[in-house]
Amino acid sequence: MRRFLIYAVLLLTACGAESKPPLVASEVVITAPMPGMTMSAAYMSLTNNSDHTISVSRVASPQFKSVALHETQTDNGVARMRALPRLDIPAGETVTLQRGGKHLMLRKPSGDAGNVSLEFFDGDMLLLTVDAAYKSRDN
Amino acid sequence: MGPKNFLVAIVAAVALAVGIFAAVRLQAPAEYKAAFVLPAPTPLPEFSLIDQYGDVVNAETFRNRWSLVFFGFTHCPDICPATLQILATARKELEAAGQDPLPQIVLVSVDPERDGPEQLRKYVEYFGKDNLGVTGNIDELRKLTSGLGIYFEKQSGTGDDYAVDHSAAVLLMNSDGHFHALFSGQHDVENFVHDLPLLVAGR
Repeated sequence: MRRFLIYAVLLLTACGAESKPPLVASEVVITAPMPGMTMSAAYMSLTNNSDHTISVSRVASPQFKSVALHETQTDNGVARMRALPRLDIPAGETVTLQRGGKHLMLRKPSGDAGNVSLEFFDGDMLLLTVDAAYKSRDN
Repeated sequence: MGPKNFLVAIVAAVALAVGIFAAVRLQAPAEYKAAFVLPAPTPLPEFSLIDQYGDVVNAETFRNRWSLVFFGFTHCPDICPATLQILATARKELEAAGQDPLPQIVLVSVDPERDGPEQLRKYVEYFGKDNLGVTGNIDELRKLTSGLGIYFEKQSGTGDDYAVDHSAAVLLMNSDGHFHALFSGQHDVENFVHDLPLLVAGR
């Protein structure tokens, strides 16, 4: 079977698999949409435990109309937000999605705003599902 | 001079240069962690915008208070809320430390098309009830931003799905309502907490 499904579910309590899944998310933060707003952002570290580059070409979520791979670039004092065509995670390395850098932009939430699932794909192949709760900004 | 003496001379010269450099560095303490203070504070240009309640905001609005001013937009999910959060946290820490006067946090929208007063009110007040949101006519906005060297440019998109590039700097206005100092680059709570009392006291 040439095309195998790489599937890993990140649960806070049940993360004790014997062999490491190829792609693992940690330090997941999903900001709750602010009052009157229809967008939020997701940040995390993505670790590639395999021996080949893992490429994320799209991310989907049942709770949002759209999820976009974005990067905030600040050059010469100007902040620019740009869509990323894909996110490559080299073998054995960790790519961090963080404030002011690469991040996921979540737009137009649907349904109840409780837990969020994020599904990472390479084409049609599901790489990883991340389940997390919204985190309010510390005020 | 033989090759050996030449080498000694080079080493001595380098040591002297390093010593002078270190001495100069030690004699000039870095007073501010991040703020760049303008040689002469600059009055704000003439402009007329509105706040989150629809009241007029102009150069006069910035008098008799210190303001930390950021240019952004509410549909920006990453750097704008992160910066406002940093400013809000810094303000709280300054308040806890007894700083008086406290700076007002101001968000000037570079996306007046989508940021009406009501939208802006919910957004800025989420980060603190005393915060000021500024929006209005884009030509009036350009008067303010170009006078302060602030850049913004709407990017192409479909419908209401677009981004706006904008300067990431936070500007400090003094109690004369003049542009006094600038915080550029990566913003940090600690930098504002450290620099702001020095800037206010240095007046």
